[in-house]
Formats: sequence, structure tokens, C-alpha cells
Amino acid sequence: MGAGSQSTRRSFFGAAGSAALLCTIGGEKVSVDSPRALRKADLAAARVGRPRGATAAQAILPIQPAPGGVRKEYWIQAETARLAITPGRRDDWHNRAVEGGRNVFTAFVYREMTTGFAEYKYGPSIPGPRLTAEVGDVIVVHFRNGDTKLSQAVTMHPHGVRYNPEYDGAYLGEYTRAGGFIAPGETFTYQWECTPDSVGVWPYHDHGPNHTLNTFRGLFGSIVVRPRGAKWPDRMHTLFAHQLPPPVTGLDRTFHCFNGRAYAGSTPTLGARVGEDVEFHAIGMDSNFHTFHIHGHRWRNAAGAFIDNPTFGPNETVTARFVEDNPGRWLYHCHVFSHQDAGMAGWYVVDP
Amino acid sequence: MRRSLLAIAVVLALPGVASAQTYPDPKDPGPVESAPKGPHKTYTVCAKKCDFKSIQKAVDKARAGDTVRVKNGTYREAVKVNGSKKRHLKLIGNPKDPSKVLLKARGSMQNGIFVNDADEVTVDGFMAQGYKSNGYFFTNLNGYTMNHLIAKQTGVYGLYAFNTIGGAILNSEAYYVNDGAFYIGQTPPQAKPIRSLVRNVSGWGSPLGFSATNMRYVTITKSRFFNNALGIAPNALDAEKYPPAEDNVITDNDIFWNNFNYHQGKPPFAPRDSGTAALAPVGTGILLFGGRGNVIENNRIYGNYLAGVAAVEAILVEKTPEARTLANNVVKGNQFGLNGTDVNGVDIAYDGNGTNNCFLSAGVNSTFPADGSTFAGCGNQSNVFSKAAQDTMLGWVGEGAMKAWNKHPHPPKAGLEPLEIFGS
Repeated sequence: MGAGSQSTRRSFFGAAGSAALLCTIGGEKVSVDSPRALRKADLAAARVGRPRGATAAQAILPIQPAPGGVRKEYWIQAETARLAITPGRRDDWHNRAVEGGRNVFTAFVYREMTTGFAEYKYGPSIPGPRLTAEVGDVIVVHFRNGDTKLSQAVTMHPHGVRYNPEYDGAYLGEYTRAGGFIAPGETFTYQWECTPDSVGVWPYHDHGPNHTLNTFRGLFGSIVVRPRGAKWPDRMHTLFAHQLPPPVTGLDRTFHCFNGRAYAGSTPTLGARVGEDVEFHAIGMDSNFHTFHIHGHRWRNAAGAFIDNPTFGPNETVTARFVEDNPGRWLYHCHVFSHQDAGMAGWYVVDP
Repeated sequence: MRRSLLAIAVVLALPGVASAQTYPDPKDPGPVESAPKGPHKTYTVCAKKCDFKSIQKAVDKARAGDTVRVKNGTYREAVKVNGSKKRHLKLIGNPKDPSKVLLKARGSMQNGIFVNDADEVTVDGFMAQGYKSNGYFFTNLNGYTMNHLIAKQTGVYGLYAFNTIGGAILNSEAYYVNDGAFYIGQTPPQAKPIRSLVRNVSGWGSPLGFSATNMRYVTITKSRFFNNALGIAPNALDAEKYPPAEDNVITDNDIFWNNFNYHQGKPPFAPRDSGTAALAPVGTGILLFGGRGNVIENNRIYGNYLAGVAAVEAILVEKTPEARTLANNVVKGNQFGLNGTDVNGVDIAYDGNGTNNCFLSAGVNSTFPADGSTFAGCGNQSNVFSKAAQDTMLGWVGEGAMKAWNKHPHPPKAGLEPLEIFGS
């Protein structure tokens, strides 16, 4: 590797405020600051043995929903996929080419499948599927580690819902329970109860032995729980604010992303019509704080005050819900300028 | 009736099949064996100008991870792939037209291709005909692939995976087999299951389209089971280890016209008067004979004269009483009766045995018992067991099913003829 590319890389590090990921993987400390360190981290993760507590047979009894509730079943597979961050290589907002060379990297994603893991429902993408439920329901996730490349255990760890330690989906060293270590090829069924205090919008993500790195790679998604019988919005848009830094992607620069994509035109172009009940969720999924700003719109926060640029941190959600009344092409973006200018922006198009 | 069933149970408890002595003892398939390091070689097999004339000779020469390519032709041999030194072997015939690479039995040859204790072997593009036991018999494995295979007139099963963990059976066909056209059985229970996939297969013209004694973690999808005595039968038996059938998903399949009464006429195979095949209630789409956590969803089930889906306690299980009862099974979202043009005898029949078995009524037009009293909705409600209903259902064994038939003509189907009695 020539000095030139080194300095290029370093300058991008500086510009984007990126840093190495310090990961503890099964007792080994790995500073992920280069593609070589990335391989080292994956090898360390592949060496993590199955904890004794994680071998227990699964309790097969299905948890019953509360009266009126249902068991909402999902079939979700984790696997690696090659994804483009800026497929068109254009920044549609400034109408210019995106700098920084290659933009395809090896992501780790959750993919929704049809019943029994028979088929994929959609192509690979970041984030994983949105799980929806109402209070009283039980979210049942049949989860398979379908990856064939990285040879390491992964999990699904939810926020917001109620679960017992079996369904925590967290690797905890020797205290790990069955749902906290799903090796390649294996399947585990999580059962998460939606209690009245589960109402809200929450993330789920990998919490296996290599969770920091794999979450950065794209192993995350959202859970939406509403009170039973509550009206659902006409449209829901979920945006994960996160970065894809060179140590994770092997690329030459950091991309600041919504949903695995950077720069308007590549990030999701969201839509609505005037009169529709619209809900946005913005969830932080890296080590930074972000803000969520939509041009031309205001909404109320939990305290009842009008806002248009709330702050949110790692694994925190802000929700904006309003009845659309302002047609036009609008920008949504993170208002941390260094994020916004490195790709964390997109279009919101409202038809009259 | 129960007494006669118990008599059959005694028969089943003995080593089931006539040719069983040629089978290896089941052993723990263990974790998947490591992928062999290359470089890998490819050997060719054909009558002239190939590396070998016999498939077995090529397999014997091949090492783990190698490929054996078999050219079009007829091969009169019974191929054995045995032991971990043959793991990850690829045995490739003609995937585009498997019938051109014909394995034809001679004398008392047992299995067309037999794979034992060699993980992740792929067999792709063959037709096997006339073997005394099975077309393709895979056992004691962790991972396997059967693809583009045809089995015709094999003596017990067509495509058979026994005591295996994980695997795939794809794009294949089996017919005129004297027990189950397809069979996955005795899956070892696993704390973190590795699932198996059966996709785009056709099982027809046999006592059972798909037999599944003590089968676990299998998804059967986009497949067709028709013109059998019984379409698909996840079942629990003591004759094999680990009862019952558990955590299987049967979804997006066509299961129709399973009214083949092979007890009459001259079926194109030697009918057996014992074993699961003899018990199969003729005229049934899917039979859950015991079982836990099985999901039957989004299938098209029609023209089965006895029942679309029947569920009954696994009364033959005695050594492990906890495996007798039906628990946590789900039957929902299926289309029964082809929009009323090709109805089933009844769409669903259930003796009410067990707990938390969920039959969603949407799309169901008829039930046994007719008042639906054994069924409960999904959720916390309990099923209601009916001894009378069970006794009636146990009377449907084999040809006995015909007394409850609702026989009627089927609307025509391009390229297919209904099969009820062969050679009459």
C-alpha cells in the first residue's frame, strides 16, 4: 500500500471524525482500524466457543398472547451481502459526483424470509425488516444464522419488548443463554412479549460475540409497538442514522448514512400525499449523536412543544408524526454538519 | 379397531424393511466435517474415453471435495459413498435431463446411490430405477444436497434421508415407489436446530407422497403431492428414534387427488401389507399422526376424498408417552377445495387430542366432526378431545377410509390424470 493512499485514508478519517472501533471479542481486545484488523476481529469472533449455558435445548412451549392478541411470526435470516452505499455515485442534492472511489462493501444484514425459511421476501438491505405488533401480541422471530463467510455466532437482541433471559439474544460470556449464541447454520426462535410499556419504536440488533462490528456492518432493524386498536399511520418511514467507516468497509472514506446509503438520491427517497397521517422514525445506530431535521415541517415532541430538529443518540429513537399539509420536494438530514456533508441527507417528496 | 392397529404396531416395531440388514447402524451425525482443502480433482465416467467406466470406481478414487462427472448413459450399479474421506464430494450427472443418466438396478441391488457418514455430499442429475430399497439413501450426515433426481419403482423409498442434520432436496421427482416417494426421518433433536429444505419436488403414484416419521426442522415448499394414497404424513412412531415429528413447515404446496387405492388392481410396485404405507388412510392430503409445532400454511389442498388435513393422536407410540399427543400445531391460510370445484371429503378432521393445536377456520368449508366441536381457535383455548371422533378416525386406516369418502369427478388438469386404481 503506497503512502499516497495511506494519507488519503487518514485525511478522510480526519475530515469525517471517524475513529477505530475498539471491540472486545470473546475476551480478546481488537482495535478495528484497518481491513487487516477487520479480518483479525472476524477470526477472533470465529474462535469464540459455544458457552456452556448456550447449549440448553430450547423451551418449545409457545408463549401465549394476552386475550385479543396474536403471535406475530417472522422468519429472519442473518447473512453477509455485498451492498453499494452510493449506487449512482451522485449526490443528487448538490448535483455532483460522490468522491472517494469504490463504495461497495460486505454488509451483514437481517433478511426477512417466507414461512419456514422457504424463500427470501426481499433483496438484501440495511436495515432489516420492521417488526410490528400491538400490545398483547407476542413477536415470534424464527432466526437463522445463514452466513457462510464469517464463521461466527450472531443473535437478535430487541429493545422495548419484554423477554426472559433465554430470549435476550445477548452473548454474555459464560452466562450466555440459548438465544445469545447462534452459530452458522443454526436456528433459534425468540419470543418477545409486547406489554403496555412496550409501546414505541425500538431498534433490534446483533448482540453476539462480535456485536459492535456486526452492528456497524448492518445487523439492525426496528420494532414498532402500538396500543391495541390504535390507529396506524398511513405511512411509516424508518431511518437509521449510522456511519460506515473504512475499517468496517475496507473503502477509502467514511460514509455517513441513512439506511446503509449515503447522499440524497442514494438514501431513501421518501414520499407522502397531502392529507396523509405520516410518521417518521429516526434511530441512532453508531457511536455519534445526531439530529433529525425535515425541511418544511414541524411536529410536537413528547412534552408537547413544537420541534423540527430533535437530537438522538446511539440506539435512541425520535418519532415525528404529523398530518401532511405541505406539498413539495423537501430535504431531510442530520444537522450535524460533518455528517450531513458526508452523506447523511435525503429527499422527502410530498405530492399534492 | 384399536386391537388391529396394535397388531400393526408390533409389525412396525420390528426392523421395518425387508432389506434393513444392509443399512449401517445409525450414529450421531455430529458437527459438520471441515471443508477439505484443495486442489480438487474432477473425474469423468462414461462407456468410452472417460477416466472410468463405473461410477463406483470413480468414487473410490475420488478424495474429499472432488467431483465425479457422469456422462449420459445407463449404469447398472449400486453406488456407495462411505465415510468422511468422501465428504463434500460432488456426484454430477445431467442436471438438465436427469433421465439421461440412468442408474438401473440389476439383481438384488439395494440403493441407487447410498451416502453414509460423508457430510455435505452433493448428488445432482440422476435417475434411479428398480432398486430393492431406495433410489437415493442418505444417512448419518450433517449436511447434504439432492438435486435434479428422479426415482422410479424403487422398493421402499425414492429419495430418503435418515438420521441426518440439515440438508436440501430440490427439483426432484419420485413415483411408483412402494412406500414413501420422499422420506426424511429420525432427525436428531437439536438445541439450535439446523433446518432442511425440500423445494420443487413431485411425489406421486405411491402409498405416501412424503413420509416423515419423527422428522424435524424441515420446510417443504413449492412442491406437488398427488395421486398417492396419502400426500404428506408427519408422524410419530417408536420404530425409529426421537418421536414425534416436530417443528416442520409445509407451505405453498399443491396437495391434491390423493386417492390412489393401491390395495386394489395391479399397482406398478409390490404392495406391502405392513408398515406405514399399509396404515395410510387412502384419500388424505396431509396426516398429522402425532407431532408438535408443525405448521401447515398457505397450501392448495383439494380433491382428496377422505380429508384435506387430518390430525390424530399417535396411538402407536408407547415407549415415549409424551410423544403421543398433538401439541402446538398450526393449520391456517390454506385454500381448500379449489374454489368449490374439487372439494375434499372434509377439509379438516381432528380428534381433539393434545393441547394448543390451532386450526384457523378461514377458508375451511367442512370439518370432522361436522359440528367442529373438537377444534378450538388459536390462543389460550383448549382443544376438546372426543373419544368417539378418534375411534371413527382410527377406522379410516388403509382402505377403511373409503367408507367415509366423498367421491366425485375432478375438473380436468392439463397433463395429469387422476389415479385411483392402477391397471384395473
